[in-house]
Amino acid sequence: MKILIVDDSSTMRRIIINTLSRIGYTDVVEGDNGKSGLERLGQGGVEMIITDWNMPEMDGLEFVKTVRGQNPVIPILMVTTNAAKEDIVEALQAGVNNYVVKPFTPETLKEKIESLLG
Amino acid sequence: MDQSEIDALLAGGAKSPKQPEPSAPAKDPVIAPPAVTVAPHSEPQADGSGHVISELDTVTAVTERESNKVMDQLDQIGQLVNRQQRLVTEIMSNEGAQAPGVQKAILEVMSASKEIQDKVFEAMDLMQFQDITRQKLERILHHLRQIHDYIVDLLGTGLKSDTQRPSISHTIAQTGTTPDENKAHADAVIEAFKTQKKG
Repeated sequence: MKILIVDDSSTMRRIIINTLSRIGYTDVVEGDNGKSGLERLGQGGVEMIITDWNMPEMDGLEFVKTVRGQNPVIPILMVTTNAAKEDIVEALQAGVNNYVVKPFTPETLKEKIESLLG
Repeated sequence: MDQSEIDALLAGGAKSPKQPEPSAPAKDPVIAPPAVTVAPHSEPQADGSGHVISELDTVTAVTERESNKVMDQLDQIGQLVNRQQRLVTEIMSNEGAQAPGVQKAILEVMSASKEIQDKVFEAMDLMQFQDITRQKLERILHHLRQIHDYIVDLLGTGLKSDTQRPSISHTIAQTGTTPDENKAHADAVIEAFKTQKKG
């Protein structure tokens, strides 16, 4: 399964990639903002998206809305520092399937991914 | 206070432009103290220094780069532990290592290796603090830029700060560094949203 990770922090992308590899997902592509995420998505083969919210150029919310305009079914997990109730609701309304607040444990990421794919 | 003084303040450490000029030029221009110069507007200096916003940007870039170096080291430790585990597994199958005492010692080594591996993973996960700290700095930068732009508006001079910044969290002050501290709250909101949607 190919997973697209979109986050402007290279440290965070590495942490997510590392966690994914520990739970058996090693086919990963990366983007450092919404725009580059859309480019990677356009190259095809992506079956799931993990995206940050706060990014330059195109933020995660705009990215999710754009993706949903093209693909209403691909699972999207938002991983962000935004923890306010209204933020979570806004993301869900935009089309994310699940939501993780940073900092997270690998167990949480695993649980969320499995619930999306289950 | 005029715009050049505000910019000098934001530049951090630059002296006020209103300081009196020396009464006579220095005799030796080579050892003369440098003339006091103040950034004429809000753009960062070419070398990335001397401006509080660009300096904070530099701080976040450096911490990200250094965090990646720590991650590299942790990766290497993980690989070394993997190699150690492979070697110990090979030793275990040797005829000479079948004595109960040796087998017990090998199992203890394997258990310690596993603990090291777990600690390496834990340390990697803890590096999330770097991204959270970076976003907190972004929030501070946002406020500084708002103050700067407000003063520019007020005085009608100078340039506003550049606009190409990451979007920022509204609630970063409540975001700590303890993993999963907001999990229960987020899950409850998701559950309520899904229930409402179904209903």
